[in-house]
Amino acid sequence: MLADPLSRRTFLAVSSTALGAAWLAADPALVRAALEHAARAARSPGTPEPVPWEVLTPDQAADLDAIAAQIFPTDDTPGAREARVVTFLDRSLATWAAQQREPLLHGLDELNGEVERRWPGTKRFANLAPERQLELLRAQEQTPFFQQMRFATLVGMFSLPAYGGNADKAGWRVIGFEDRYAWQPPFGDYDAEAARGR
Amino acid sequence: MRPARPAVRFHPSRTVDFVVVGSGAAGGIIAKELATAGLTVVVLEQGPRVEPPQFEHDEIKTLFQSALQNNPAGFTFRRSASETAKPGQIQLLYHRLVGGGSVMFTANYWRFREIDFIERSRLGAISGTGLEDWPITYRDLEPYYTKAEWELGVSGEPGPFDPPRTRPYPLPPLPVKSSGVLFERGARALGLHPQPAPLAILSQPFNGRPACQHCGYCLGFGCEFRAKSSTLYTVIPMAEATGRCEVRPNSYVRRIEVDRKGRVTGATYFDENKKEQFQRARAVVLCCNGSETPRLLLLSVSSRFPNGLANSSGVVGKYLMFNGYSSSSGVFERPLNEFKSVTATRVLYDFYESDPRRGFYGGGAPDARSFAYPTIFALGGLPHDGPSWGAAYKRILRDYYTRTMNVDGHSTSLPLETNTISLDPDMKDAWGLPAMRVTYKDHPDDLAMMRFLQDRAIEILEAAGARRTWRQPVQETNLAAHLLGTCRMGDDPRTSVVDRYHRAHDVRNLFICDGSSLVTGGRGQPTATIQALAYRAGEHIAAFARRGEI
Repeated sequence: MLADPLSRRTFLAVSSTALGAAWLAADPALVRAALEHAARAARSPGTPEPVPWEVLTPDQAADLDAIAAQIFPTDDTPGAREARVVTFLDRSLATWAAQQREPLLHGLDELNGEVERRWPGTKRFANLAPERQLELLRAQEQTPFFQQMRFATLVGMFSLPAYGGNADKAGWRVIGFEDRYAWQPPFGDYDAEAARGR
Repeated sequence: MRPARPAVRFHPSRTVDFVVVGSGAAGGIIAKELATAGLTVVVLEQGPRVEPPQFEHDEIKTLFQSALQNNPAGFTFRRSASETAKPGQIQLLYHRLVGGGSVMFTANYWRFREIDFIERSRLGAISGTGLEDWPITYRDLEPYYTKAEWELGVSGEPGPFDPPRTRPYPLPPLPVKSSGVLFERGARALGLHPQPAPLAILSQPFNGRPACQHCGYCLGFGCEFRAKSSTLYTVIPMAEATGRCEVRPNSYVRRIEVDRKGRVTGATYFDENKKEQFQRARAVVLCCNGSETPRLLLLSVSSRFPNGLANSSGVVGKYLMFNGYSSSSGVFERPLNEFKSVTATRVLYDFYESDPRRGFYGGGAPDARSFAYPTIFALGGLPHDGPSWGAAYKRILRDYYTRTMNVDGHSTSLPLETNTISLDPDMKDAWGLPAMRVTYKDHPDDLAMMRFLQDRAIEILEAAGARRTWRQPVQETNLAAHLLGTCRMGDDPRTSVVDRYHRAHDVRNLFICDGSSLVTGGRGQPTATIQALAYRAGEHIAAFARRGEI
């Protein structure tokens, strides 16, 4: 899996849910293939929306997009929707995370079953009002499906844009991360202050 | 540092002087020492050769998918011999590629100290443990620490508790990060003595390699600039440049062969097409790490060695040590931007030695660390009792990401006969060989030391002005990057596997040098010691070969 203390933490953070761990178990060769696939599929500038989905139906995509948008919402900065996390999900489920497709979509079906039980007449999560979406997800927080969606949403939000999410590096800009290959000191406020004091 | 000519290729049927199994922290050095001494060497590396331009800042591929670990086998785990081991309960982190763990390690480069070699005589026996003195002392190893630092490239500055050194560090410390400044502030306020962390990362250009560019991707990643002093682009090209050393990747050794006289004759391995090959050699050196080395010995059973090669003592695979670990975090008012530059820039050795007043055995050191890969931080970097999704989570993530640092504790593991690497009776690896079985339970004193250092870490963070601190709960080890002690060195063939020159007591032309050789595990950062041992072993083994003593 990962290395040193880093991995200890992520191991705890991720493997606490079996489904999260399953996402981590894919073959690296599949990941490489997925990156190439994503690069080929990357839309050229100016390509009109909507792009065709690889594995999701439009309804499923709308539901997963709505869930991701609750997990990492839009405020005065971009959220999962602007970062196109659902594109990351679709591409991942089509390639390196293909083994997760069935359990994830099964979990979504179950969630939609719950939607209809609670609000007869409404068939899909995406059709709920935002406050009801939130209410339902709070009740589902401990389910493997929700934990898998949290994991996948955050990975889609902050991983390399080449995987389909983190569009325009939106996730990185929100938290103040910048992926550069070279930096110079000072790196932060406290070492800058210390250097001035010397 | 490129090889001066195309690297030599040996046909497996040609008897070379040495087969070295493993090309990591130790194997790369041994290969270079032997080849530059005029001997012919084939290095069998089970993983591929990946060159620095192929390293990427890709968390999914590198961290989540273990792209550089290439673990095809998996292993089983149990806490004690009375349990049936199950897969997936523990992670052993090592990397199957040319350069091994030296490619992806964080590059902490702590020397052991005098005490690490003589702790048994200083403290007396600890009941129920295998704590022993080493057959060599710090003084014996010092020249080789120096050689490693100067040949590989290490940056640092001695501190008040450092052991004596015959030469200064070749390079000054890396620039201090904000975490280092705050760590120093907190530690000094508590009357402690922080110092620059020694790192096998270049602070200035050195031996044709560029200085660190502070990209921030050390821990778990390969360095695309070659500023991290991996064997991949330091000693391995030097070995290849002699024209006497072939590094053969994708070569997975399944067995060390012996003749009727009990001498090793070479290594049988699977090539990249899973086809068996046999490389003949006059002698074999195992450098496969503290888990793979004992496994290979246990796989190499024969009528002459029914309990595994070099295992007349029964000690092969026993006394496995991982090093203790704890982690704490603090968030500060202003940005630290810990995603930039090396992982750790300050360390504190005030708690290095065991202190009877604490009521338990152990020692260690906390360091100031970044924990800032964006995906990893988003998944697990925030306090666990806070929100984990939604608007409130996002607010905290935005606030904390650039303002958080870690203080991590690194500490002792007592050698226990019951902590072992053995062969699983049921599970097979991808080649049909018995999978590795890990049996490990932390000694209560090891857990006490982890908690002790975590308490000190929280004090340091608070004294530095953290507005909030939090802990990763200390628990029994379920993930290990340091694999130590499983073929321990000693003078007595009844209680150790190799002698003080890394020669197997049972087999005159078999040598073993890697984390498995360690008698005690130090305080948490074993790579400098593994590499110093490798330089020392390489020198002695070459001398044995020249004198016809193999």
